[in-house]
Amino acid sequence: MEKATVLFTPDNLAVDVEPGTSLLQAANLAGIELVSSCGGDGTCGRCLVKVQDGYVKVKDGGNISPRAKKAGLVLACKTFAEGNVVVDIPSRSRLEEHQVLLDEQLLLEKDIDGAEGFSLQPLCQKLAVTLTPPTLEENIADWERLQTAIRSALSCSDVRISMSVLRQLPEALRAGDWQVTVGVTQINGCAEVITIEPGHTTSREVYGVAIDIGTTTVAAQLIDLVNGFTVSKKGSYNKQARFGDDVISRIIHASERPEGLAELHQTIISTINDLLAELLQPGNLAAKDVLMVTVAANTTMTHLFLGLPPKYIRLEPYIPLAAATPPVKAQELGINVNPEAYVVCFPSVASYVGGDIVSGTLVTNVAKDERVTLFIDIGTNGEMVLGNQDWLVSAACSAGPAFEGGGITYGMRAMKGAIDSVDIDPETFEVKVSTIGRCKARGICGSGLIDCLATFRNVGIIDRAGKMQTDIQTPRLRQSDEGWEFILVYGAESESGRDIVITENDIKNLLRAKAAVYAGIRSMLNAVQLEMEMIERVLIAGGFGNYLNIGDAITIGLLPDLPAEKYTFIGNSSLKGARLALISKEAWQEAQELGEKITYLELSAGNDFMEEFMSALFLPHTDMSLFPSITNVK
Amino acid sequence: MALTGLQIFKQLPKTNCKDCGHPTCLAFAMALAAGKTSLDKCPHVSEEAKEALGAASAPPIKLVKIGVDQTVVELGDETELFRHDKRFYHPTAVAILVEDTEDIAARLADFNDLEFDRVGLHYVTDMVALQCTSGDAATFKAAAEQVAANTDKSFMLICEDAAVMEAAAEAVAARKPLLYAATNDNYEAMTALAQKVECPLAVKGNGLADLAELVDKITKLGYKELVLDSGNRETSQVLADLTQMRRLAVKKRFRSFGYPTMAFTSKEDAHEEIVQASVYVAKYAGLVVLKAHKKEEILPLLTWRQNLYTDPQKPIQVEAKVNAIGDVTPDSPVYITTNFSLTYYIVEGEVENSKIPAYILPINTDGISVLTSWAAGKLTGEAIAKALEENEMEAKVNHKTLVLPGYVAVLSGSTEEASGWKVLVGPREAAGIPSFAREHFAK
Amino acid sequence: MAFSAMKERYRNKINEVVLGATKEEGGTRGYTVTVGGESALPFLHFEGEIPNRPIVALEVWDVAPTDWHESFTTYFGDVFDNPAQWAKKCVEEYGADVIAVRLKGADPDVADASPEDCVKVVKDILAAVSCPLIVLGCGKAEKDNQVLPAVAEAAAGENLLIGSAEQENYKSLAAACMVHKHSLIASSPIDINICKQLNILITEMNLPAERIVIDPTTAALGYGLEYGYSIMERARIGALQGDKMLAMPILGNVGHEVWRAKEANISAEDMPGWGEQPSRGFLWEATTATALLQAGMNIVVMRHPAAVALVKQNITELMKPTSFEE
Repeated sequence: MEKATVLFTPDNLAVDVEPGTSLLQAANLAGIELVSSCGGDGTCGRCLVKVQDGYVKVKDGGNISPRAKKAGLVLACKTFAEGNVVVDIPSRSRLEEHQVLLDEQLLLEKDIDGAEGFSLQPLCQKLAVTLTPPTLEENIADWERLQTAIRSALSCSDVRISMSVLRQLPEALRAGDWQVTVGVTQINGCAEVITIEPGHTTSREVYGVAIDIGTTTVAAQLIDLVNGFTVSKKGSYNKQARFGDDVISRIIHASERPEGLAELHQTIISTINDLLAELLQPGNLAAKDVLMVTVAANTTMTHLFLGLPPKYIRLEPYIPLAAATPPVKAQELGINVNPEAYVVCFPSVASYVGGDIVSGTLVTNVAKDERVTLFIDIGTNGEMVLGNQDWLVSAACSAGPAFEGGGITYGMRAMKGAIDSVDIDPETFEVKVSTIGRCKARGICGSGLIDCLATFRNVGIIDRAGKMQTDIQTPRLRQSDEGWEFILVYGAESESGRDIVITENDIKNLLRAKAAVYAGIRSMLNAVQLEMEMIERVLIAGGFGNYLNIGDAITIGLLPDLPAEKYTFIGNSSLKGARLALISKEAWQEAQELGEKITYLELSAGNDFMEEFMSALFLPHTDMSLFPSITNVK
Repeated sequence: MALTGLQIFKQLPKTNCKDCGHPTCLAFAMALAAGKTSLDKCPHVSEEAKEALGAASAPPIKLVKIGVDQTVVELGDETELFRHDKRFYHPTAVAILVEDTEDIAARLADFNDLEFDRVGLHYVTDMVALQCTSGDAATFKAAAEQVAANTDKSFMLICEDAAVMEAAAEAVAARKPLLYAATNDNYEAMTALAQKVECPLAVKGNGLADLAELVDKITKLGYKELVLDSGNRETSQVLADLTQMRRLAVKKRFRSFGYPTMAFTSKEDAHEEIVQASVYVAKYAGLVVLKAHKKEEILPLLTWRQNLYTDPQKPIQVEAKVNAIGDVTPDSPVYITTNFSLTYYIVEGEVENSKIPAYILPINTDGISVLTSWAAGKLTGEAIAKALEENEMEAKVNHKTLVLPGYVAVLSGSTEEASGWKVLVGPREAAGIPSFAREHFAK
Repeated sequence: MAFSAMKERYRNKINEVVLGATKEEGGTRGYTVTVGGESALPFLHFEGEIPNRPIVALEVWDVAPTDWHESFTTYFGDVFDNPAQWAKKCVEEYGADVIAVRLKGADPDVADASPEDCVKVVKDILAAVSCPLIVLGCGKAEKDNQVLPAVAEAAAGENLLIGSAEQENYKSLAAACMVHKHSLIASSPIDINICKQLNILITEMNLPAERIVIDPTTAALGYGLEYGYSIMERARIGALQGDKMLAMPILGNVGHEVWRAKEANISAEDMPGWGEQPSRGFLWEATTATALLQAGMNIVVMRHPAAVALVKQNITELMKPTSFEE
């Protein structure tokens, strides 16, 4: 049978396939990654493409929205090339390089150094050691000779050596005439020699990598451990996304498919190795000089990264395999750094409060400050920590990915083309939007959605319950198969040529997301019997922090009605904490303690959270007295 | 006043040693504040802290037991004024008044039959209240013995003459009846008797101020197995008294009222008694004594008690069985959702709006919503398959297609595999059901 | 320790809502009835004012009920076909404080009565009795939106209490009440938040809070009564503690719920373990009402005259002042 040629536009990439190949597979062969969080099962409804020309077979049963169907789109996984075809891939269907939050991108962020109070004492260093050569009288063995010298140099009683270095030891000592340079890692009070070079090398290059593994994105920094400076920073999307958008889908994939766990583990390792290559490339640095890796990640990501089965995380009573995990050698994980380098992961507090939050808590000094601080990381799963130097509690509220654009018709992450603010004339309902990069709008990101919700309420497009007011006079408000929707950008002005709309369902999703965050905060306060006003500062981490307007966030009841000066944006605190631990043994030690000290509140126990959630499903809140600064907005 | 978790935490060692079974000292402190654990679970707490926390960790209302073995009646140990704040723990005991001049055997036969089966629950009338109407010690004693012989259930003896009470109490002491009552006139003798026979003692005051004094006098004599009666009988005053006692005990830790309470109906008409007793069940009586004794009278009262003492922390659920909406036919579609009542009723409303008769099959997810139950592994293909089978859906419809909530489209494969039914992925939001139904099911 | 009564002092009190309007006030009622106004939890006279006793409304239907228990025939058999006479009997013989007219016949599945038919029934009852009226729709939003505004217009100025506005459907009814000077029942499905949200939405349409009564939905004894009880209790506590959007008097559709319960209807022959039906039935209704009165209910909508007598007597007793000697 003749091969079929599939041409993808606008990329103009062609690929020859056997007839009957799905367009999803064809795209993969062409090197185009499509969004397909169900892995090609036809259930996520996201790998939408448009067949421009040619003959295809479309299988029934896929989960495709009436809106997409009407627009002539098909699911790539359920559509099979039967001859030469031309397929257009809309930008929304592509798994694209995400804008990853690296700290230099932050606009409003207060620069938290994090190193305050910690001296530069990296988890790994190179030591130049000079030994007294052995004699017939003084005949201590090579290793014990070196061990004694390192003990006194580091004032550390527990000094070990890895087997592979031990094998090299006799020749290295003698080649350097009893002078050697050793790479020594110090973790949890125990030192280990992981590299050895003869002589006192002139360059003592030693690097470490700090990694933040998010469910959606991964960010990494290469740090010079001699001086603590950042050499380079990189971010990318987490390639595990192809197995599902959220941690639950990934846990299911890992638990229910025979090779699932291995697949997810390999995928995150490969994501990290790609990042490492990029990090090392600018300075032409060698992987073997990277001697230490710190990883901050949510509990599920930590499990998958280490290849630990995550199955019971999602099942009641939500128990992780381990909160604190032992250090592991890079070679064991397949990370492309020095094979003997140690990789350490931040401890988790509970199934849904992970090492990323411990890392953030560390770097923000919440546990060293007498002020009662609320630290919130608003990502896919809003996590929060409340407390001060005496006590700390944490909780996770399943806010969902709405603020990252997930589950919103035209939602997207904060990247080029995303609407980040919306202005609507209260009389004419004419709309002005601004986009990131000042280009044609592609969709709307978290801050845009928050602004949109606040503006819709302020000009009366929706009522306090989020219901569209269908009696207002504007052609922008129209009814579709799925209910009412408001046109933000007409097709003529959007990138795709299609109208960018906000639907009533989008608003419901946003309401739920904001209600979950606010309810989480209230439930945590209830648990320790504190009032909202007793919070002395609020630190906000997470993907949308850069563009978020606090006033809007309060207007919609996402954040508590506290004075603006109490709020600080801290960007990707997880990555910052990972960097801090890399350059400070003391900070790493403190992270271990934090993991033990933070008290986790399970919001699904009892119905306080549910009650709070229900009362927050209103703009700004059913209890208006909680929002005294928002009065009488019609 | 009750201490908060943070206040208790300050007194703990803060070592997070986990020896108490809690992950952190703060978690333990919060559990203590909520009355869910006791301080002795911490092996490292200092003597100083024990002293500081002792009062705070003692229950505000003492647990008092009447009777023995399986039918023991437990009163008190309540921590709340309103059930929605946490829950009420020990349901109001219901006691039926019997006089010593009556035909005890006949009355007891009736009493023993005052049990009910309703919605899978078994309701029990807890106690007999034997009143000394005769004034005669021998009659009362004989009657008490007869009560003891004719029922396994707990009972109380009502007689304010300590000498008459003594004979009866001694005869049936092994059954630990509640002795009613110590008053200003007899409290020394009654307390001595209660101490001697080791039976709980009711204390009857003349209003609350008098009651508090009397309780203090009795506790000074060293007896604390008490049940309190303000002595008033007018409905509105008794409501006020019971409210005050509960409030002072719980909110002020007023020790004189740190005991369970009791009330008597004063009405002659049985129906009026039930209404009066319903008020006392609602507002804090640990024990209510009434004369009404017919099944049709007692059942409503026991049902009200059962309702009030359920755990309000449980999510409201609908029964996980198939419901037909409208005039269903074998062609009607089958919608899947969860048994969380809120979710269910929203779906039901939209299915009604669609005007296309349909079956809705709520899956038992312990009352949690679609996405959450999927996340927690409670809404699965297997669970759906099991529900289809248990509800005999194959016999009800002539097709094998079900509508799955759009949010859990990922369950399509496992559902089809486990059930053999074809999955049609429905809308994510219930609001999309009418247009979805029009598209797929309109004739 | 010496006893000293603990009295809660609340920041807020429940709104007073007036039912009915006399000639001077623009209506035709012989008298008006006021509910609410209390500044204490139910019947706790020692710590606040309880100026108005809870009232009992008896249900009258526009069509003869076919599904009521046969024991009702004894009381109403002669008037089931004549709503005006039925209402008169409720007031004169059975002590109804007000009449609750349920326009059941408007239901397309019952008699599909037209708005005009419904208006006539309400007018007839207004002419037959001098007490204020509550007018309840058939429960199907689409039809109620035609019928109730028509009734509101025809009875303009009477200050009926009309229900029910719901979250998905409150605008037309709220507007009709505003224009024609009636009060409104805002009904929410056993959810304190929706209850409150609906009040906010309705008051934002400028219907004064003093013309709203809330129906947080009740269930019958044995059928989730505790949920309704707790919602009422929470609403009442919230209101007294200062939440103006919960400070409305509360109405409970007790009879409607109770008489659907098996326990109220089933005969002793069919269920020998539960005792005799007649008193079990009306006690089921009286106990449900008594329980909810303890949670803060101000208007009890009932059906059985024997239950009404018990509940009214209970209210009378609970309205007796209380005090503590300290």
